[in-house]
Amino acid sequence: MARPSVTSRLQGIERLRRQVLAHPRAQGISPDEVRDFLSRLPPRRFPRTAYAERGPIPYTQPRGGFPTFEAQRNLTQALSQSGADFIPLTIDSYTRHNQYETATQLLRRSEEEGRDYLNGYPLVSHGHELTRELYSGLDKPVSLRHGTPDARLLAEVAIASGIVEIEGGGICYCLPYSEGFPIDRALLYWQYVDRVCAEHSTAAAPIHRESFGPLSATLVPPAIAIAIEIIEALLAAEQGVVSFAVSFGQTGSFVQDIATAQVLRRLSRRYLDECGFDNVRLYLVYHQWMGAFPQQRPKAAALISGAAIIAGLVDADKVVVKTVDEALGVPRPEVNAEAVDTVQYVMRIFRGADTITSPVVQREAELIGAEVDSILAAIFELSGGAFWESVFRAFQLGYLDVPFAPHADNANKLISMRDGNGSIRILNPGNVPLSDRSAAMERSLLESRVDRADKTYRQLLADINLMVQP
Amino acid sequence: MEQFRIVIGVIGDDIHVVGNRIMQLALEESGFRVFNLRTRNRPEHFSQAALEVNAHAVFVSSLNGEGEYWCSDFRRRFTALGLADILLYVGGNIIVGNRPQDEVTRIFTQYGFDRVYHQKPDISLAIADLQEDLRRGSAQRHQSAAGH
Repeated sequence: MARPSVTSRLQGIERLRRQVLAHPRAQGISPDEVRDFLSRLPPRRFPRTAYAERGPIPYTQPRGGFPTFEAQRNLTQALSQSGADFIPLTIDSYTRHNQYETATQLLRRSEEEGRDYLNGYPLVSHGHELTRELYSGLDKPVSLRHGTPDARLLAEVAIASGIVEIEGGGICYCLPYSEGFPIDRALLYWQYVDRVCAEHSTAAAPIHRESFGPLSATLVPPAIAIAIEIIEALLAAEQGVVSFAVSFGQTGSFVQDIATAQVLRRLSRRYLDECGFDNVRLYLVYHQWMGAFPQQRPKAAALISGAAIIAGLVDADKVVVKTVDEALGVPRPEVNAEAVDTVQYVMRIFRGADTITSPVVQREAELIGAEVDSILAAIFELSGGAFWESVFRAFQLGYLDVPFAPHADNANKLISMRDGNGSIRILNPGNVPLSDRSAAMERSLLESRVDRADKTYRQLLADINLMVQP
Repeated sequence: MEQFRIVIGVIGDDIHVVGNRIMQLALEESGFRVFNLRTRNRPEHFSQAALEVNAHAVFVSSLNGEGEYWCSDFRRRFTALGLADILLYVGGNIIVGNRPQDEVTRIFTQYGFDRVYHQKPDISLAIADLQEDLRRGSAQRHQSAAGH
């Protein structure tokens, strides 16, 4: 039995760091020089300072990454001018998979031929010295958005560049993003990232970590997402991280979104406190619809506006926005800027709605909360010398099961679909340890749906395509 | 009744897993025994798996259009392993660019596929065809067994 504990703090970090920083692409990063550089960054570059100044509406963050420095600089300026509160740096998929040489070659081709051969900014190829210039004069936090199971070098270069919000985690950046990266290694590599974040943190200017709650973004039951968010917060806290955001993706159900936010906020605080991590500041991030998006721009705009209302309703600290071009490809900077403007407009108009409560939301929150508690209780009971080992075992046993994750070691036994309200229900929990009562409640709520298709797969197809009806 | 064994998987460097998972559920719900190779497969993964599990049919899918590149000598691989009679199906978004249905069907038929479902999202069509083809196929097998 292994509960989260500071005694699980990674040992010999200096030795591990020397090995990572010996990589030729680390380009001479020196932890002491980086510490000095971070101490001279404007305080507003740190999420803790920014979040402390948040007004009545959630902060807004778009997504975006281009291969060349010039294009990324233009995007950064366009997004900042549009009023985005957090500036994204989305990394290309070769760098995410540690293929730095390929990324570098394709960066050169992009520069020479003037067209994009990468789907993001190859941060490791550009290096920290150049990337610092990307953000000179900026007084907003920059967020590293990627999907990297082994992000040790990437995170080192990011922090050295002044990017002090690092998204990811050993679960949320492995299961949905990789088919075969060993889960135990991913957990260990993210311990490294968390530890390095903690090493570079000061009380006033902590390096901020954020987990990615949408996961596969396909019919993930809230209890699974929340359990994983809490686990990643605990794993980060073990390594000394003191500023952390949990997140979740729009579920497609109004009721479930509000209930999920309540439970996620309440239980992540409770588990951190119970494990002795009451020094961790927690924030809540809401992702606008991450599933299949409508092709028609007016419908996409409507979906984005609706999600903006919900972001305000759940009083998210930050909302990650989509654009009307989501179904069509990588959005241009103008389209991205427009999305920021629209979302802020809607949130301003409908602000203050976070007082809405209802018995239906309360019942949903009670059910989700009970499920999260029983999943986490079962994982805490698993054998292992440290918490991460119990987490790893939970995947082997199917206690944690992420629907539609491409990873070969995901159990794939849990089957979920939507009920009459559009809420995601667990038809069959597989090996996920729910109480009999919760499992029966899930099934009975599912029966509320009158228009269920005759075959499970037909229903799943309809549920996955919820937002793309013609 | 004998349960038919079907090998399914996504071909090429394609990690689109949602359709693959739905396909597995759909085939299982229709009574098949499914061996799912999941994502990022080479052609030999399909033929080897078919040999190992003594499959009745193989269903290859491609979402990112890599199908044309990977499937060109598909039937030959199975014949070389003594699986000349196996049913070969392909579906998804199997070719890059916009080309007419009959052209796509002709290309993949030449590669040795029995049925081709390009941009036809309704899996039930393929399942009905599969049941029909297998019924006919197993009747043929019974006849040839009786002839010996």
